[in-house]
Amino acid sequence: MSEHDAAHAHHAGHAHWDTSIWPAIISVGILAWSLAFSLHFVYHQSFMALIAFGIGIPLIFGGVAGWTGEAMGTGEGLAYGAMGWFILAEAMIFMSFFAYYWYMRLSAPSWPPAGTPPLPVVYPIVMTIVLVSSSITIHMAEEHMHDGNRSAFTRWLLLTMALGLTFLGMSIYEWSHLIHEGFTIATNSFGTVFYSITGLHGSHVIVGLGIFTAGLFPALKGKISSSFWRTASLYWHFVDIIWFFVVSQVYFW
Amino acid sequence: MNLKEWIFTTDHKRVGVLYLIGSIAAFIVAGVMALLMRIELSSIGPTITNNPSSYNVWLYAHGAVMILGFQIPALTGFFANFCIPLMIGAKDVAFPRVNALSVWLFYVGVILALLTFFIPDPPDVMWTGYPPYSTITTGNTALYTFTVLVLGFASILGGVNFLTTIAYMRAPGLTWNKLNIFVWCVVGAFILQLIFVPVLGTAVTLISMDKYLGTHFFDPTQGGDVLTYQNLFWFYSHPAVYVIFLPFFGVLFEIVATFAKNKVFNYKAAVYGGIFGIVLLAGEVWVHHLYVSGMVDWIRVGQMVTTLLISVPVGLMLISLVGTLYKGSITFETPMLYALGVLFLFLIGGLTGIPLAVTSLTVHLARSYYVVGHFHYVMAVAGTFSIFAGVYYWFPKMTGKMYNEFWGKLGFWVTFVGTNIVFWTMMDIGVKGMPRRYYDYSQFPQFEGAHQLMTIGAVILGIGFAIALLNWIIGAIKGRPAGNNPWGSMSLEWTTVSPPPHGNWPTPPAVGAEWTPYAYGKS
Repeated sequence: MSEHDAAHAHHAGHAHWDTSIWPAIISVGILAWSLAFSLHFVYHQSFMALIAFGIGIPLIFGGVAGWTGEAMGTGEGLAYGAMGWFILAEAMIFMSFFAYYWYMRLSAPSWPPAGTPPLPVVYPIVMTIVLVSSSITIHMAEEHMHDGNRSAFTRWLLLTMALGLTFLGMSIYEWSHLIHEGFTIATNSFGTVFYSITGLHGSHVIVGLGIFTAGLFPALKGKISSSFWRTASLYWHFVDIIWFFVVSQVYFW
Repeated sequence: MNLKEWIFTTDHKRVGVLYLIGSIAAFIVAGVMALLMRIELSSIGPTITNNPSSYNVWLYAHGAVMILGFQIPALTGFFANFCIPLMIGAKDVAFPRVNALSVWLFYVGVILALLTFFIPDPPDVMWTGYPPYSTITTGNTALYTFTVLVLGFASILGGVNFLTTIAYMRAPGLTWNKLNIFVWCVVGAFILQLIFVPVLGTAVTLISMDKYLGTHFFDPTQGGDVLTYQNLFWFYSHPAVYVIFLPFFGVLFEIVATFAKNKVFNYKAAVYGGIFGIVLLAGEVWVHHLYVSGMVDWIRVGQMVTTLLISVPVGLMLISLVGTLYKGSITFETPMLYALGVLFLFLIGGLTGIPLAVTSLTVHLARSYYVVGHFHYVMAVAGTFSIFAGVYYWFPKMTGKMYNEFWGKLGFWVTFVGTNIVFWTMMDIGVKGMPRRYYDYSQFPQFEGAHQLMTIGAVILGIGFAIALLNWIIGAIKGRPAGNNPWGSMSLEWTTVSPPPHGNWPTPPAVGAEWTPYAYGKS
């Protein structure tokens, strides 16, 4: 922020213009990853694809880390409102998958399509309990943050992340179990929908955990931005709520 | 000039200029593609290429780059970035780094789109990417998918950024009902982007998943459904025309109010009826792109009604615009000429759209040149003229210098004539049966003369645009100083110096109770 204030202190004379290199670095990483996909899947140049992917990793993760380090705590508290708009866009991604799924399923001559094994009943309920608990624990962390209780905040945050990781682990176990039974993303239209919707949700869990991790290190050093954590928690609640749609539509319909 | 402070800038005005440079480059590339197509069609049989696939790649690049690389970034990237913080009296956008990420991702998207010309097996899926063709072609569908995803992600970040900026960073005293119409239009456009871009992103992801990861979304033999793609695609791509329409109409409002020295007629009807009417209806009309793809009759009739209905909010905005001219003291500088040109083109485009909305007529007209002509009148050229109007209008603010008025006006008239030659002829031969997208038309020799006329028109059109582009470049380098407010506008962006410094104003402006951006002292 000091950089910013300095700029406004003497804007009238010689202008100093704010810069940041991290957006550019992240973008180049995204370009590398986009090319990696084409190289591998279209041109079958797997070695080149690996190089492009490898170039992307430090650019994207280093870019995010540098950005977080530069920007943490400098916002004007507008992130919470912005996250609301972002969640609208995210919800529409899920909505597109569900719209596809509903249309496909309701117009299918018979259901489920051949090759679909019976899905477990108890297991997804346990997964739901784990994820809902993590929504409660991040709420507790936020409460402690507002009370100024730093150590309790960190404890509840770590518990939330542990629950998130547990959920991810359970998802991976579930996937490997079903794939082992011969039910894959390419088996039939239900396999396609099952893995893409649960995978889409899982990727959001990973992003949520990534946001938590990005804030965890400054937090451990005592730099806790309330705007950041309110926003991160809102995103996590959204990921939790979407899971109810996923589990009810994919497992229990 | 410090190059690092341009490339890595987080300032909204410089980000805006970066958007402008990129989108103009995209415009030139896509324009050359159009010229190549027109030259190819100037005679029956192969003219400049023996390979129909090359024609398909030009067609793909022209559509995809014009829409995703030029119009949307110029309108929601350049104009929104450059104007909105200035119009609402803010020192920058809410998240300057996110803004920089948006423009960088836009450049990544443009690079991906331009790779089309340098790689083996380029994408050849039009700008629509319909399966099953897109999932079985040897062309690189993945590049199409990633182009759309990267540009879409940039749009979503921009939407989040600007909606937050407009909601929380307005100057003291600047209430919602005192916002410039352009700001309202961008609010509407970005709400549409946030709702609909994710659906397009999903749709194009699914075709690449089908093609490369073995899924069966659009594979009927495994229970998938091909038509669902068209629904998902147009669920975005119809509202996308309003994403373009709203900001380009917003630009017209600013220009017409300034050069008519008049307050905007029926402000509240234009905002709450017009803009929000469009936002509400935008998501309920997409099926009219699928009239001939097959659907049950009751949906077709319902969609015909909503399609015709959306002309009501559009009409409200047009009435406001024309009403603003009424009893104004009008002057005809270059921006105003382009703006009035848009009114003319948009009127033709709007009226020729009505037959397309009517399901019985559209069976004949769909897939013909009529659709291409109509679409170019109502969106492509009208939108482009509006972008040119806006660049001319804010040129003095952006550069601090003045363009050449004579060459500006000449460029307008040349473009205007070229436009009408090309697209009127298109609609004419479309009604007579010329199908669109054809590389060769030896079955329709009667249209060769019309095609030659259109090729001449396209060259005229290209010359007109080139005059304007050169006028900007020369004006930016050695135009005379323009002063802070050459047009005598009341709007906030003209109260700071030209070009505005980092932070925009020494002290953030506050506005009084009597002030509006259109307070020209007339009723």
